[in-house]
Order: sequence, then structure tokens, then C-alpha cells
Amino acid sequence: MTVAWWEQVKAVAGLEMKKTFLARRGLWIYLVAAAPVLLFVAYAIVMSVQQGHNVGLVRQSDRPLAYQDLLAVRPGMTKEEVTALLGRPPIRDHWIENQPRGENASVRISHEFYQYSDGQNQLFINLADGTVQSIDIREGYNLGRDSVVFASIFQFFFLRLVVFFGCLGIFMNLFRGEILDRSLHFYFLTPVRREVLMAGKFLAGWFATCTIFVTSELLQTAAFLWHFPPNLRDQYLYHNHGLEHAAIYVGVTVLACLGYGAFFLVAGMFFRNPIVPAAAILIWEGINPFLPALLKQISVIYYLKTLCPVDIPTPPGTPPVLALLIWNSDPISAPLAVIGLLGVSLLALYGSSLQVRRLEINYTTE
Amino acid sequence: MNDRIVFEDVSKFYGEILGVNRVNLSVPPGITSLVGPNGSGKTTLMNLMTGLVRPSRGRIEVLGYETDDPENLFKVVGYSTQFDAFPRGLTGFQFVASFLRLAGNDAATAEQLAWRAIERANLTEAAHRNIAGYSKGMRQRIRLAQAIAHDPIVMVLDEPLNGLDPLARSEMIALFRAAADRGGYVIISSHILHEVDVISDQVILLSNGYVVAEGKISEVRSEIQDHPTQILVRCSRPRELASKILEQEQAIEVAIHRDEHGLLLKTRDADRFYLALNQLALNGIDIESVTPADDDVLSVYEYLIGSEEAIR
Repeated sequence: MTVAWWEQVKAVAGLEMKKTFLARRGLWIYLVAAAPVLLFVAYAIVMSVQQGHNVGLVRQSDRPLAYQDLLAVRPGMTKEEVTALLGRPPIRDHWIENQPRGENASVRISHEFYQYSDGQNQLFINLADGTVQSIDIREGYNLGRDSVVFASIFQFFFLRLVVFFGCLGIFMNLFRGEILDRSLHFYFLTPVRREVLMAGKFLAGWFATCTIFVTSELLQTAAFLWHFPPNLRDQYLYHNHGLEHAAIYVGVTVLACLGYGAFFLVAGMFFRNPIVPAAAILIWEGINPFLPALLKQISVIYYLKTLCPVDIPTPPGTPPVLALLIWNSDPISAPLAVIGLLGVSLLALYGSSLQVRRLEINYTTE
Repeated sequence: MNDRIVFEDVSKFYGEILGVNRVNLSVPPGITSLVGPNGSGKTTLMNLMTGLVRPSRGRIEVLGYETDDPENLFKVVGYSTQFDAFPRGLTGFQFVASFLRLAGNDAATAEQLAWRAIERANLTEAAHRNIAGYSKGMRQRIRLAQAIAHDPIVMVLDEPLNGLDPLARSEMIALFRAAADRGGYVIISSHILHEVDVISDQVILLSNGYVVAEGKISEVRSEIQDHPTQILVRCSRPRELASKILEQEQAIEVAIHRDEHGLLLKTRDADRFYLALNQLALNGIDIESVTPADDDVLSVYEYLIGSEEAIR
């Protein structure tokens, strides 16, 4: 019997796949999934342009500079001290400012602007009358810093918004969409257990969301690493947990699709309007860090946060409420997190299976 | 396995709106027509017997299967609904074959069964076109093909002849007849009463969610005591026969037929009237034929439900 059920699950999933991937009402999901990729692509383009500019600056410099050389410049230094330290500036600009003093008097101030680069970072120096007034260092690529940025975007944008709303769009439509299209009865009129039908639809939704969001995640990783020099990229991937992190991000994405999928499947059975459950689940996931330990476990983000490979540091001065959102106050081990997420998802799927048996076809009330 | 479709004290309410109330039925094999005006509960009865809606009270069994057991129920039941919508993006063939695959058939069997059903529905040429481009009649036929593709013993067909041209209607009726003759159960709702009359073995008359009458049309008619039976007697000398009949007590009204070749009369005791008519024939009155004039669905419907109600 279970073999027959499995065959039916596969048949349902097969029938659903095309609809799930190509549903007109689901096209926005692709745009949502593309948003973080575009963000990283834009960042990579900006960094590449900056990098090209840095190479030009190095070529025009008197001598090669190190990052420490750039840091050695201090306000109050004379321009002679600066040029002695860093050489002739590859980019230099100057202008005269007439600053009024009294009724008919004015003072002439000679301003200069120097720009240096060590090939990776840029130093901007403002001088007035031959003395350094201000300095600004614009850092180039920095894998350590960028991987934290990647982790932040993954946790706070990709998981909590992109995957969340994408799963809402796909899983809530598995049954609700068929009801709106007035075609659910065809499924209910076949010799298939309603639970088997639900399982087939869920698998189709899971496969679709995993395909869309894992692809998005991999493209984000590719875009994130694109502007780094190949040797640095290889160092990160093969010797600094880069590949391991990428695999974990893929795993977390797959689990997020499972967890949010199960939540939205059951929500789609109970609610006609997706806004109500979406808002409720979004708020529930949002307030998760402030909930008691037991209630925390009835969520998806609690487990996903634990599984994310990079801890996001809380910047000094962050308000405690915000710090709580970033910091994982009740961490659990990775195996427990996976088991916990599977448990919560199975619970939601069990709720769906009970509801699908009670579901009636009454399109006129929709 | 029970050999009937059984409703035991079934009621269905949609919130406070009555669907059907206290329905008790035992439907035998053959073609059974559900007849009643809009909102009388025909579609609700069909949805109940296929499990698309659950009864608020009572119990339904289809050949011994509970309606909340789709895995077994839909091996013997096929339902063509009135919902004129389809899963998006499928051709006629894909639509029929996909749901056969869902039912557990392997690809080759599903394909074979799908083609056979599509041929029976006379849609072979359009089978590879997207359903979205089908006409209303074609959509009706592809729904029928899908419902009958797995050769169900029980066919539940909501307005199956809607939108079909005369040729397609007669082909479909022949198909239903053949299924019924093989011992199948064909449950049809239709608003075309003369068609119901021709094809039905029995009828279920519904009004405002209640079953008003059920059974063979002649049996239902004979149980209606409020309206005298109308009989058409064909003869060469209608005026002479009329005077003889009026001497009898059984006829309460006699009228000469418009073509002057017969009588249209009413009696409250048809059996005694037929005996008396035999006697008149033996006494030399030439009688060509005697046929009941209101032994049809339309008359029964008018007597029980009223002609003023919109029927469909």
C-alpha cells in the first residue's frame, strides 16, 4: 500500500511541478528571490570599479604602499611629512579659498587634496595651508568583514523576508490557489487519500522553493566572491571554511523552505486571506527572541538562526532590544536544531493532514 | 458490497442555508435523474454522494463505500461536475491522462484509457490543444471523458448534456444507456425534461432541499392522487365513444381531441376505467389505441413541484 501511496505522491508532485514553477500569480517570487542576488552583484560591480581605480593609483605612485603606511598619516602633519612618508600623491588637487575676516579684509587659504592607494584600500587626505586637516580611509575588499555582511543579509533579509514570503506565495497557493481556480475538486475526485494528495503537493512546493531559493543562495555566494582576487577566493573557499559555510547556507535554505512551507501549508487550509496568517507568522517569528524558552521552539527562525555558520557581532552601542534580535540567547546544538525544525514541521503537516480530510468544495463561498 | 447508493436521513446545511434535508434514498442500478428547480438540492446531493461536501447529519454509502474514503470510492465512481474550470496549462489529453496517473495507473495504461475516453467523448482531434481554447461544449465533453475514463460503475453527471449539439447529445445518451444496461449506475441532473423522460429509468424529484418523490415515473405518477390521470384514446368515432364513456362513473372529464380522431379524458381510477373501456370495445366501438397522457416527468413535475417554479 505504501508503494502505491508513494507512486501517487510522485504523480501528484509531477502534476503540480509545472503549475508551481510557472504559475502566473507566482512570478513575483522569482523577483523576490533575485533581489539579494542583484544586491550582491551591484556590490561586486562597485567593488570591481573601485579595485580598478586602486590599480591605477598604484601604477601612478612613486613606490608601493602598505596598509600600515596609509594608517601612519595623522592630522596635523605637514605636506612634506606626508610626501616623505607616502611619496608624491598619484591624485592631487588644490584650490584657494578667500575666507572673509572683518569688513574689508580676507584671508587666503590654500587647500590641497591627496589620494593614495595600497592597491586595495584608498586614503583621502585634506590639507589646508600645507597641514593635514582630515583623513579618510575607504577600505577595499575584506573577506572577514564581507562574510559577516553576507551572514547578516542571509539571516535578516534572505531568510526572514525572501524565503518567508516566497514560501508564503507558493505553499499557501497549493490548495488556496486551486480553490480560487475552481479546480481542486478534480484532485478530490480521484482515488487518492487526501493526506497523500497533501504530501504530493507539499513535496512539489518544497522542491520548487528549494530550487528557486537554493539557486538564489548559490548565485548570491558567487556574486559575493566575484570581485575578490582568485587566490583570496581559493584561500577562503578551500582553506577558510568557505565551502563549508556555503554548504551550510544551502542546508539552512532547504530547511527554511521545509519549515515555512509546512507553516504556510497549514495556514492556507485554515485562512482564505493570506495576509492574516502571513502577518501573524511574521510577527511570531519577529518576537521569537523575546519569547519564553518553550514558545521559542515553536518557530522556524529559532532553529535556523542556530544553524547559521557565521555569528553576527553586535556593534558597540547597539540598543539591547536590537542586540537581542541579532544575538542568539538560547543556542542549541546543530543536530538538535535540525531535529527541532523537523519536529515543528511535522507537527504543522499533521495539522494540515487533519484539515485536508475535512476540506469541502464550496467555491461559491470563496 | 452493498449494491445501492444509500442516503440515510441525510441533511446538509451551509451555515444557516439549507442544502438538503432528511433525505432517505436507495438508488438502484440504471439511469436515475435528479429533477428540480434551481436551489432544490440536486448538486448538493451529487456533491454529498462523492464526498465533495460532508453531510451535517446522516450517513451516505455508495455501493458499500463511505464517502470519506476516496481511495476506494473513486475506483467505482466518476463525477462530472458543473464547475467549468480546469487545472491551468493542460491539453485535453494531458488533463485526462494526468488524473489517470494520479489514480495509480502506469503511464502506458493511463495513455490508453485516456485515448479511449477521449474517443468516446468525440474529442480526438482536439486532444492535443490546450483546454483554455476549447468551446463550452468541448469543455463539457472533456469533463465527461475525465469522469468516465476509468470505467466507473457509478457515473455522477451534473447537467452532462449542457452545451452539447444534438448529435453529441444523442451519442452521450447512448453512452449512458449502454453503461446502465451493463448494470451501472448513472446519476444525472438535467433541466431538459423531455430528455429526462426518454433516458431515465427512475427519477428523484427535489424541491427546496427535500425529496418530493422518487422511483419509476409511472409509479410516481400513480401515487399522485390529487390530479386525475389523463388518458388519450384514439378512435374513429370519438363523439359516440364520449357519450358511452360519460355513462360510466370512472371518467370525470371527457374532451374531443383537436384532430377529431380521439378523446382526452380524466379519471381518478385508471384501472377500473381500462376495464370499462375493454367492455365498450367488445360491444363494437372501434378503439385504435389507449395511452396515458400525463405519465411523464413534465406532468409529474408540474403536479408535485408546480409549473411556476423555474426549472433547471
